[in-house]
Amino acid sequence: MELDLGPEVAEFRAELRDWIASQAPPGLAGLFDWNMVMTAGGRRGGQLARAMAHPAYAEWTARLLERRLICPQWPEEFGGQGMDAVRLAVLNEEFHRARVPRVNRGMGESLVGPSIIVHATPEQRAHFLPRIISGEDVYCQGFSEPNHGSDLAAVETRGVISGDEIVITGQKVWTSGAARANRMFLLCRTDTRAEKHAGLSYVLIDFTAPGVTYRPVKQMSGAAEFCEDFLDAVRAPLFNVIGGINNGWRVAMTTLGHERGGRATVAHLGYEREFWELVETARKRGKTSDPQIRQRLAWAYTQVELMRFSGLRTLAQVASGRPPGPEASVAKLFWSEYHKRLGEIAMAIEGADGLLRPEGDGYPVTPWQGVFLSSRAGTIYSGTSEIQRNIIGERALGLPKEQRIVG
Amino acid sequence: MKLGVTAEQDELRDSVRRFLAERAPLSRARELMETDDGIDRAVWEQAGSQLGLQGLAIPEEYGGAGFTFAEQAIVLEELGAALYGGPYLASAVLAATALLASPDEDARHDLLPGIASGQTIATLAFTEDDGSWDPSTARASAAPAGDGWQLDGHKSFVLDGGTAGLILVLAVADGLPSLFAVEAGTPGLARIVLPTLDQTRKLARLELDGVPARLIGSPGDAATVMDRVLDVAAIALAAEQLGGAQRTLDMAVQYAGVRHQFGRPIGSFQALKHRMADLLLEVESLRSAVKYATAAVAEGSQEVPVLASLIKAYASETYFHVAAENIQIHGGIGFTWEHDAHLYFKRAKSSELLFGDASYHRDRLADRIKL
Repeated sequence: MELDLGPEVAEFRAELRDWIASQAPPGLAGLFDWNMVMTAGGRRGGQLARAMAHPAYAEWTARLLERRLICPQWPEEFGGQGMDAVRLAVLNEEFHRARVPRVNRGMGESLVGPSIIVHATPEQRAHFLPRIISGEDVYCQGFSEPNHGSDLAAVETRGVISGDEIVITGQKVWTSGAARANRMFLLCRTDTRAEKHAGLSYVLIDFTAPGVTYRPVKQMSGAAEFCEDFLDAVRAPLFNVIGGINNGWRVAMTTLGHERGGRATVAHLGYEREFWELVETARKRGKTSDPQIRQRLAWAYTQVELMRFSGLRTLAQVASGRPPGPEASVAKLFWSEYHKRLGEIAMAIEGADGLLRPEGDGYPVTPWQGVFLSSRAGTIYSGTSEIQRNIIGERALGLPKEQRIVG
Repeated sequence: MKLGVTAEQDELRDSVRRFLAERAPLSRARELMETDDGIDRAVWEQAGSQLGLQGLAIPEEYGGAGFTFAEQAIVLEELGAALYGGPYLASAVLAATALLASPDEDARHDLLPGIASGQTIATLAFTEDDGSWDPSTARASAAPAGDGWQLDGHKSFVLDGGTAGLILVLAVADGLPSLFAVEAGTPGLARIVLPTLDQTRKLARLELDGVPARLIGSPGDAATVMDRVLDVAAIALAAEQLGGAQRTLDMAVQYAGVRHQFGRPIGSFQALKHRMADLLLEVESLRSAVKYATAAVAEGSQEVPVLASLIKAYASETYFHVAAENIQIHGGIGFTWEHDAHLYFKRAKSSELLFGDASYHRDRLADRIKL
């Protein structure tokens, strides 16, 4: 069943569908399975890179740029078209239906952009935002440190003002996409005497500058999607400090409220696809008649459907002018905990074959082993399940906060 | 599909909630628990005459208000939250749905208006002593008798079977599953109210000894009717379970905020906070599912059979999980008879067992999605 979003949105959908049909370069959909969940250790990363290097992709990007369909949710004055969450949801649905890629600008779009839009000066916005939309600046994140993950506000990387520059020294970790990035947005401590949240600054640095080194961290899945980064007296102009010195925490916590819900109705689709692939594997192995496996697969089907129902509910809520409900605050906890159990079910279906890996250099794994291993990280990154539960308990349920240990 | 809530629906919820708070508080539920029929006739009558609850989703041509299942689900949710023990599920959902699903227009015109007004308390008797929820296993039999039929056999686990004035009975006629209408007081019908784990929900056993009965539709019609009834019943029950789960979660959260031990509210300890966060995840997921499934029923979607099994399994486990944790979070007092936690706990378990538990429905779900 499809959500009834009213005649105006229906018209928007129809026009968009026509535009995609006429403007998507031939063969674009066939270059890559753009809708696939990219979970396991970059196992199709090479394929994706080749697809993105194809001329059809560049052509498509140019057309999207022209139509302001890259970062469309950004305000018009900054290169977007001020698209609301409902239309953004429809956009995602239609691109998905046509099997063409959204050209999204990663963390530049989702994290840096909102911080700049809300906190930067007009000059900073005019300088940094277009470069994100054009793809010229690709950002990686410099937040976590070896000693500060969940307790992000306690970061120790130092920023020292020197004339009209800020000089940054420290170490960051869990940086994804470092190899593809030419910029990093980071939090550094510029006031060591202030209360921990109050002494941070948010800085955009040139990730190719002298003093920046990084190396991949090998994960248990065999992939090395994250890096540790060493910043040795890296210099950035003060112009690159967003929101003012010592205001970094507030800047880092910015999201553009009105865009919540934009992915609500497509977020489950990768998991839906993955479920039916697992069913196919189970069928091939004759496991679908095993009562235990049937129960577990029925459970998994239910979880994916629950994601679908919650997404529709969020979109309906947003479409009626209200903020998303509590179902939105549990979304990350939900999918990440689900995915670990899905990986375990997959291994049960693999059976004894799960003991063995494919031949080859490095640590090649089967697709389901890849899901099994990489899913363990889902409940850790982007806010651990424990942190999620703290937030849900306190904000959604109003339970009393824990006493903090001072000192 | 419409998932939004209208102002009318909000008003409906408010008025039902107020009505139940005034006329059917938990203290009253405890009194009625001790009785055989569990029903306050005055409240049941008022529910009909003042709020039109029984006939809400029955079409106007049969004496109902002509609203949809979306409105009825709101009522069910509030009834579940209040642990209402009256025969709403039996009469306004099971029996009404059975009649609406059958092709017998005369039966609809004869029997639905009484159900819609609440003057007739009806129920559906399909399970037997073996406790199977699969209608095809029914053994009660029907034989032609004069111009009509007569029924022999037994039925058990009949919701409000002791109080119902009209009982729709599943029996085998001409070797085919068929639906019959029997009136209370008919010779040959013996009814015993059974003691239940959940005393807020009454079940009865029926003995049928040459009971005269009216055939609804034709022999064999009951197969499709029962499929439909059980699907709608699963979703209706899930709405009730959602109401109960939310109320129990509220209870747990409220207590954790005021009970102090070791110098602070127990809800500030992560061990409890985290478990309640997990409960919220389940309750809100269930809420999303109930919204979707009730819209599906209201709009006649083909997805209903899959949704029915999906939601029965999930609602059952969610409600039970919340009700169980609610006892645990309350510590010693949560285990007492005096505290209300056990009432929800027993309702949760019974709702899980009724019409098939989570494993049973996950297996049906596996069938229905053709694993």
